[in-house]
Amino acid sequence: MKRKTVFPFAAIVGQDMMKLALILNVINPTLSGVLIRGEKGTGKSTAVRALADILPEIDVISDCPFELSPEDEQEAYEECMTALTGEAPKSGDLDSYKRKVRVVELPVGATEDRVVGTLDLEHALRKGTKRVEPGLLAAAHRGILYVDEVNLLDDHIVDVLLDSAAMGVNTIEREGVSFSHPAKFTLVGTMNPEEGELRPQLLDRFGLCVHVTGVEDMESRVLIMKRRVAFDENPADFTAQFDRESANIAQSITKAREVYPKVKVPESMYAEIAKYCLEVGVDGHRADIIMLKTAKTLAAYDAREEVASKDIETASQLVLPHRVRRVPLQDVVTDISAARGRK
Amino acid sequence: MKNNVFPFSAIVGQDALRRALSLCAVNPAVGGVVVRGEKGTAKSTAVRALAKLLPRIPVYEDCPYGCNPDIPEERCPVCQARVQEAKVRFKRRPVVTLPLNATEDRVAGGLDFDLAVKNGVRVLQPGLLAKSHRGILYVDEVNLLDDHIVDLVLSAAGAGENRVEREGLSVCHASRFMLVGTMNPEEGELRPQFLDRFGLCVEIGSEQDVETRARIMRRREAFDLDKDAFHERFAKAEAQTADSIQAASALLPRVKMKDSLRDLIANLCAEKYVAGHRAELVIEQAARAHAALGGRTEVTEGDIEAVAPMALLHRTRDAAPPPPPPEPEEQEEQQQEPPEHDPPENEEEDQELPPEQEETQEQEDAGPPPPPEQEEAPPEEEMQPPEQEEERESSSMDKIFEVGQSFKVKRIQAPKDRVFRRGSGRRSRTRVAQKQGRYVKSRPRKHSDDIALDATLRNAAPFQAGRKAEGDSNLAVILKKEDLQERIREKRIGNFLLFVVDASGSMGAKGRMVASKGAIMSLLLDAYQKRDKVAMVSFRKDEALVNLPPTSSVELAAKLLAELPVGGKTPLAAGLVKCAEMVRNALVRDPSMRPIVLFITDGKANVGLNGGKPVPEAMELAERLSLDERVHYVVVDTESRGLVRFGLAGRLAENLGARYFQVEDLRAEQLVDITRNEDW
Repeated sequence: MKRKTVFPFAAIVGQDMMKLALILNVINPTLSGVLIRGEKGTGKSTAVRALADILPEIDVISDCPFELSPEDEQEAYEECMTALTGEAPKSGDLDSYKRKVRVVELPVGATEDRVVGTLDLEHALRKGTKRVEPGLLAAAHRGILYVDEVNLLDDHIVDVLLDSAAMGVNTIEREGVSFSHPAKFTLVGTMNPEEGELRPQLLDRFGLCVHVTGVEDMESRVLIMKRRVAFDENPADFTAQFDRESANIAQSITKAREVYPKVKVPESMYAEIAKYCLEVGVDGHRADIIMLKTAKTLAAYDAREEVASKDIETASQLVLPHRVRRVPLQDVVTDISAARGRK
Repeated sequence: MKNNVFPFSAIVGQDALRRALSLCAVNPAVGGVVVRGEKGTAKSTAVRALAKLLPRIPVYEDCPYGCNPDIPEERCPVCQARVQEAKVRFKRRPVVTLPLNATEDRVAGGLDFDLAVKNGVRVLQPGLLAKSHRGILYVDEVNLLDDHIVDLVLSAAGAGENRVEREGLSVCHASRFMLVGTMNPEEGELRPQFLDRFGLCVEIGSEQDVETRARIMRRREAFDLDKDAFHERFAKAEAQTADSIQAASALLPRVKMKDSLRDLIANLCAEKYVAGHRAELVIEQAARAHAALGGRTEVTEGDIEAVAPMALLHRTRDAAPPPPPPEPEEQEEQQQEPPEHDPPENEEEDQELPPEQEETQEQEDAGPPPPPEQEEAPPEEEMQPPEQEEERESSSMDKIFEVGQSFKVKRIQAPKDRVFRRGSGRRSRTRVAQKQGRYVKSRPRKHSDDIALDATLRNAAPFQAGRKAEGDSNLAVILKKEDLQERIREKRIGNFLLFVVDASGSMGAKGRMVASKGAIMSLLLDAYQKRDKVAMVSFRKDEALVNLPPTSSVELAAKLLAELPVGGKTPLAAGLVKCAEMVRNALVRDPSMRPIVLFITDGKANVGLNGGKPVPEAMELAERLSLDERVHYVVVDTESRGLVRFGLAGRLAENLGARYFQVEDLRAEQLVDITRNEDW
């Protein structure tokens, strides 16, 4: 399968918050995703697809349809493979290989059985035994699950996503199959709010949220046109021009991943975050936790080992807008400092 | 994967939730918990963490149904067939997750495919109801569970056994489980019957104290950074909790309760108008568990007081659902504010429009009072002059009224039938013809090409031995045409709601528009939860306008509603025509759709089409509209209640064959009752 050349991430003009949110999620997958809201034609989908460029590499067990890690998930591997093949896999060292983190796209029209996995028909007919055919959630484990136009997703698919996004486990109890496997994914969605809002419950599952609007500045608009045309004419050459920049981003991501566990949070910052969330008025505690992690990730991306107030300020812009408690039908807040002032 | 679960004892706050879960762990007779609360409040975390703390129970080693060795009469088919007594071992009570997308065969159990192919025998592959016997059946987002699965769970919970009669199997096995569910009420409520199956109910909110919130953050961060270290840190606390639960469950059989306390319980239940007797039983069992956890063998009043609120919360009947939380939090309070809090708005209205209001009052008082029930139309001349005067006054200026208080609307839905539809939404349940929607069950194939693979295979499995002898296929399973089963899928579709709003000057009087907008907004909120398509038509001056073509963006409708200007005459006929057009277009696009049209008007038509007489014209049109049986109409009469009424909206409703109610009825509970008792 030949990979189509994608528009390089580094070549995207403007939309800094969106790019930042995506990068933060690559550095720290526990931020649980980003929702990109905005008008059509603002580079939402382009940016997500371009991520492939700058994603780091991970170790994956060979021949494992569940994309499990050879370090932490041996146990799960044994369980899954036993359920899959009916016999325990050979113990001892597992073969593994390195590959880039994957972006798995969930099309809006996907059926439930393809999303969660289902009975493998071919196997059943040939061998006369039952076997699971893993679905998209298995493929997206440790990667990015990307839903374009997430607000148009069928309700029952959303329910499934809610279920597994929360616990990082996908449980299949359908069509004679009883099975569960790890499914930790970064949920990335794009949507155009004109087409309808997301359910609050799903909204809350996205760690970060950014609003994108068209670039207003003349020069940047010209630059966007130029780059797009150049890319369409000769994708390979165009991409090559940005190789260095892409490599730079990838490198700083790798570095940030190393720094992250060392980042310290000054005692006062915890209270600061909690106060922020209380003032703005959010449901539950997910906002606090994600905000803390985002601030830490920001510090790590900046190669600092201590969280500063400005990290918290930026984090609040990313974490809180879609979590401010609101009556349904009320618009999602765009400016978080204003919301804070109002309360 | 074992360290992936956040430890129970590391959860900060949420005492009620933890207590309720511990009670269940100690005494299964408590019957489970439903946890209601906003998102992100450790609901699911706590339930999943509980799994490691449950007491151990004896089971047969080879029994897939989790039979209790001490109750021989309840043995499952496997245990009955056993010749020798099998080994007994102790294991924790199971926690079985019932995912939202489960299919019937996995919940109740279905034919074991592997065995059927290999040996040609029909054996039940136990489902989740078997696995959760003597343990916990856990449903996350329980309010989103499909009705047909709920039915299965309910019937098993009621009988204490699961009876499988399908795919040539006839098996019955014991299935007594505790139901534990978590839900976010924002997404909809549970069926009352289902709700009653949960022994306890806990309502939780987030911690409001900065210090506590900071502690939560710290713990979660520590957990995510290094799960093993975190578990080590809490290993001792976890072991203690587990021990105390095990000890309490051993003590439980010796816990006694005095008869006098039973009177206390009965009184508590009577005070709250509790239906049925489950509450009494649950309180007694929970109180015993509470005493056992405290290491006592005698139930005290304190035990009962501690557990009663949890058992009564969802069974109290003096208030409308949802049950009020014991310590209401901010948001709940706001939602539950009854619309009687309208006065401030009305006062504002008074200040804005005093002349008009007085005027209307006088005119109505002065006019000849036709009795409201009068069948004959009042002569046009009699009713038009005052209207026109009023119109003249108000039509000079367009006004925009604010949106009145909104409230919760009860179910408006079309009856489920056997028509197959396409679409998506949450209002009405329907069978769907597309290959979309939840796979509900299967049936022998007739014409669909949506083959239920699993059912087909199960169907064919028992015959494999015979077929292989005949044929020479190298496939392991040989399918024949008669094996084929097709899927029956079901999903909720949103309806199409068309709002036809009278925006003439007469609606501006007496704050009618404010109340009407409030009512429309409430219906829109309802539409939002049900994923309906909405459209809005308004009529005023000389014409009807499509303010909003059919869209799923209810937000857009809400915005437009807020900005809707009012003023001018009342071209009711034009509104009806426009409505007919919209409905026809919608039906052409999707013939199986059943639109619901809501007229919000006082019915005082005073502009006709092409100069015809306004009222008779409108009534005739209405009659013609009513001929299409696919369309449901609702008329909301905005005319003020009083001695003098024209009752024209009532006649409109009659001619349309519509449900009719007055705008005053729209307020909160009344509307709830009206729509609830109505069979759509």
